Amino acid sequence: MTGITAYKCNKCGLVMYPKHFRCLKCKGREFEEIEPAGDAKLLTYTVVDQLPWGMDERGRVLGIVEFANGVKATGLVKADDPKLGMKLKAEWGPVRVVGGEPAYGLTLIPKK
Amino acid sequence: MRPVVIAGVGMIPFERTEEGGLVEMLATAGLNALVDAGVDDRPVDAVYLGNMASGLFNHQEAVASALVDSLALMPAAAERVENGPASGGSAIKNGFLAVASGFSDIVLVVGGEKMREVIGPKATDIVATMTHPMAEYVYGVTLPAQAGMFARLYMTKYGITRHHLAQVAIKNQNNGLLNPYAHIQMKITEEGILTHPQAHINNPVVADPLYLYDCCPVSDGAAAVLLTTPEIAKALKKPQVIIAGVGQATDTHALQEREDPTDLKAVTLAAKKAFEMAGAQPKDIDVAELHDAFTILEIAESEHAGFFKKGEGAQALDAGVTQIGGKLPINPSGGLKARGHPVGATGVAQIVELVWQLRGTAGKRQVKEAQTGFSLNFGGFGNNVLAFVVRREA
Ligand SMILES: [Zn+2]
Repeated sequence: MTGITAYKCNKCGLVMYPKHFRCLKCKGREFEEIEPAGDAKLLTYTVVDQLPWGMDERGRVLGIVEFANGVKATGLVKADDPKLGMKLKAEWGPVRVVGGEPAYGLTLIPKK
Repeated sequence: MRPVVIAGVGMIPFERTEEGGLVEMLATAGLNALVDAGVDDRPVDAVYLGNMASGLFNHQEAVASALVDSLALMPAAAERVENGPASGGSAIKNGFLAVASGFSDIVLVVGGEKMREVIGPKATDIVATMTHPMAEYVYGVTLPAQAGMFARLYMTKYGITRHHLAQVAIKNQNNGLLNPYAHIQMKITEEGILTHPQAHINNPVVADPLYLYDCCPVSDGAAAVLLTTPEIAKALKKPQVIIAGVGQATDTHALQEREDPTDLKAVTLAAKKAFEMAGAQPKDIDVAELHDAFTILEIAESEHAGFFKKGEGAQALDAGVTQIGGKLPINPSGGLKARGHPVGATGVAQIVELVWQLRGTAGKRQVKEAQTGFSLNFGGFGNNVLAFVVRREA
């Protein structure tokens, strides 16, 4: 359960996340809602030491992953030693505190 | 379309402004451009203000109206143009269109931002609100984080090292020492920021692989240009520096949706359009001001704009091609890295620098016999980009 809804164009099959009102490729307007599925491959990442106001931490790893079914998404990578191309498992978890409440998002942990 | 001349330019030093608010800064830069053009009591038809976030930074809106009032330009038309860190470039484009179309004869374009009114992490957050709210921002994605993710891929793909990034920082900070308007006035060495065992103390990680000296400072600043027709510019006895080409292009909001995340498509397209309109090619450019908010961007933009082949920008940098005195000086002003990056001001400040260069009045950082200049203003993380070709007519 990743908590993310991605969109697959009914006309040309392009997979998009986040949502667009028209397909980025063919301008189609009908989509099938899909969930990211399969392992997530780490396409790129950064280790952030200077975070915005309200996030008091260092070494936060943020990355872009691609799932086996083509969904691409940004998430919080919970790996001490991230590597390009590494396989990650996706979960839906707290990623930030907003107004005292946890905000949820995509968290990614290394696959054993 | 009518030709459009940049008949006046003005700036205030980029720094942490201690006295006066945003409107005073904008008005001072605007007045400098009016005085430089010598318009005196000629009526100004319109004012376009490039500003990204006066509401969030300064708790003030409708700033263009405040600006015309401050400069006694009523009843000139006035509005603020917002396009993130390319707000300045977008304001210039709007001013250009107004004069080129014949709708206006004299237009003042001002760009400015007062970012240091809030603390650093707050400024980082305000700028980060440009990212996609649910797909990026919620995770703590900032502009440096996007640049870090881009840099990792770009460096891996093209064999760019931290040595190359340091060369951008060193060159631009050296150039900044020649520019009295530059925020950062400090010579740095590769030893001090990279090779010394304790360099990490001077140069800590911001968003790995980008470090402090890979990132532009947070600055206050404003810049202005006065745009008019060749006839009026002649009557004002000003050099005929024209906006010969304008290009703009957009790309996906979220970085993850780019088919090839190392491809800055909007940069390529904006530059191509500007060159086509100007009837020029990259080889015709004598001096360029690129949007080096992060060192990696100067290298990547120099390639995407067509000055060097993909993967060859770093070698050109290493060979001194982009130094003042090289074949294609890039960022003689010091760029965003040294001049500073008050977001709404940058696109206008780039054009101001080019006009000084083309007029031959750039002082110690003058590029010899510069006739044609190029600027690139990079909005968001490359999702809304403007490019300009400016030329000194004989
Ligand atoms: Zn489609």
